[in-house]
Amino acid sequence: MAYKPQYGPGTSIVAANRRKQMNPGQKLEKVRSVTDEDIVLILGHRAPGSAYPSAHPPLAEQQEPECPMRKLVKPTEGARAGDRVRYIQFADSMFNAPSQPYQRTYTECYRFRGIDPGTLSGRQIVECRERDLEKYAKDLIETEMFDPALVGIRGATVHGHSLRLAEDGMMFDMLQRNVLGEDGVVKYVKNQIGEPLDRAVAVGKPMDQNWLKAHTTIFHSLVGTSYRNDTEYVEYVQRIHSLRTKYGFMPKEE
Amino acid sequence: MAKYTETIDLYSDDGKLLKSGVTLDRVSPLVNPATGKIIDLTKRTINVNLGGIQDALKVGKLGKGKIKGRELDLPIMENKDAIVAKIKEMIQVEEGDDTEIMEFNGGKLQLVKVPSKRLINASTYDAAITSVAAATTFAIVDQFDIDAFNASTVKAACWGSYPHTQDLEGALVTSILTIPQNNEGIGYALRNIPVNHTVMMTNRNALQGAALASTLETAGIFEMGSAVGPFERAMLLAYAYQGLNANNMVYDLVKANGQTGTIGTVVQSLVERAIEDKVIVPGKKGGYFQFYDTKDPMLWNAYAAAGTMAATIVNCGAGRFAQAVSATLLYFNDLLEHETGLPSTDYGRVMGTAVGFSFFSHSIYGGGGPGIFNGNHVVTRHANGVAIPCVVAAAALDAGTQMFSPESTSKIYADTYGKIDVFNKPINQIANGA
Repeated sequence: MAYKPQYGPGTSIVAANRRKQMNPGQKLEKVRSVTDEDIVLILGHRAPGSAYPSAHPPLAEQQEPECPMRKLVKPTEGARAGDRVRYIQFADSMFNAPSQPYQRTYTECYRFRGIDPGTLSGRQIVECRERDLEKYAKDLIETEMFDPALVGIRGATVHGHSLRLAEDGMMFDMLQRNVLGEDGVVKYVKNQIGEPLDRAVAVGKPMDQNWLKAHTTIFHSLVGTSYRNDTEYVEYVQRIHSLRTKYGFMPKEE
Repeated sequence: MAKYTETIDLYSDDGKLLKSGVTLDRVSPLVNPATGKIIDLTKRTINVNLGGIQDALKVGKLGKGKIKGRELDLPIMENKDAIVAKIKEMIQVEEGDDTEIMEFNGGKLQLVKVPSKRLINASTYDAAITSVAAATTFAIVDQFDIDAFNASTVKAACWGSYPHTQDLEGALVTSILTIPQNNEGIGYALRNIPVNHTVMMTNRNALQGAALASTLETAGIFEMGSAVGPFERAMLLAYAYQGLNANNMVYDLVKANGQTGTIGTVVQSLVERAIEDKVIVPGKKGGYFQFYDTKDPMLWNAYAAAGTMAATIVNCGAGRFAQAVSATLLYFNDLLEHETGLPSTDYGRVMGTAVGFSFFSHSIYGGGGPGIFNGNHVVTRHANGVAIPCVVAAAALDAGTQMFSPESTSKIYADTYGKIDVFNKPINQIANGA
């Protein structure tokens, strides 16, 4: 490639962390191990070991229409099999969680194929074919994008990201899906929509404050890096705002 | 209209050069003969679902309901030729004019081309559907000698619940265009065509579908008064690059990213091409970030629009699902801004459109998937003709995940318009005429 991709502006550690998550050339640090079965349990879309239900016949069994674009674009495994479209949704605490809704979407847009991400103020959802989802979810949970205390896997009743943390450092969850055990390990006792699990799923120990501060992708003027101090980022936002307005009125440069 | 010297090369949906050195004005909906034909036929052709009328009358299915006791068992298909001849006789203004009736599906579907004179001598395009609906009603009434008490039933099968409803709800005589009262504002008629209709008219070919949608959207924007003066060039460039695969850009981007690429890698390929073509140049360098500048925001916008299309095809194509189109419209453009420091497609308006469109096309606010949207919708109309073509491409690539699939809502358009070259291969036809 003739130019070097930039992955967004900013000179702060937060900006650098954002770039690291986005850049598919950078391997994300694996922080914990969660088994495939554990992922399926947390997602709650199918019973572990059961076949993937399908939304339509596999592509090989239907005659794909004559379209050069279909020939150029390779379907994902899940699309090829005709899987249902399913989701995972995360809530990220504002107190230095390693990722945040926009960041998750940006990262997924660079790293994953065939995805439908949706960004909201306190949560982020990504929908895709079921077997692709399980693969992507593993990446999202096992790597540095996740923290057992400050990130919640919440399909419903997501509230909590902007509240102060509980005394044990956990982000508030009205459904108490994940609990901090006496051994210091966080366990999911309910799946992402709050249905009790037959067995608890361990997702590891919460990361310490120093690690969080070094890995977070959230600006926070009180507990982390202040956005205003990243003048390049501020300049970028102001510039985009001005140019949208200027070109929106008259798309010309004299 | 301005004179243009800048040229584009037009390529087919499979990346082959169709015509090079085409000046920009030659693809204008005001100039291009194939586009003129698309617009003309869109206004002038009316579907008569004769087989459907026979079946509906048999069980009393009228408008959107069913009226027991109003069943009429008429051998319409057996008398099809006589009925069609009567319709033609009534519709035609003078011998040898451009009236034409085409048969599809063994005559169950009739596509009536109303003579131009009926539209020239009318104030709106309504004159096409009203004349054909009335002629079909009377032809059946006449053929079977229907009395005054049953003629209203035949009328209800042809006209639907009109005039109890403002439009012809549940009618079996239909047009691609809806009635003017359903248009969001002045000049929206050609933008008021559902995505699924376009997908079916182009037989699920993503780029041809996008081209047809883009042509209709662009013509609509001309009609709205939004492509006058300097904005004409802006509109034509976006149309050519995004809708007509100008300079093979969409094809090249999809080809480079189709096997392993993502929305993000399409952003990178597009930026690379824009730098190579000197559409954008490095400007201010910050502590980390290289800001880019452009001397030609209109051309940059056209590149961004082509990239948006390619990203849609790469992402929705990989998942073979339509639903991701709104997210792709939003985040391709967001990431493009983060990569260059320049505004994205339609200077941010595609992003704005996509936020609302995500909400409305994911059953969060009631039902409805991307396929039943059109450019006349309150959430999609703000992007200057560059959002809906992507939605058509995405819906064309869907392998069967949608509740509102093109086959379920718009199959009739594949059986009729889908057989007409100017509708099913617009890229080639427009290049021929350019």
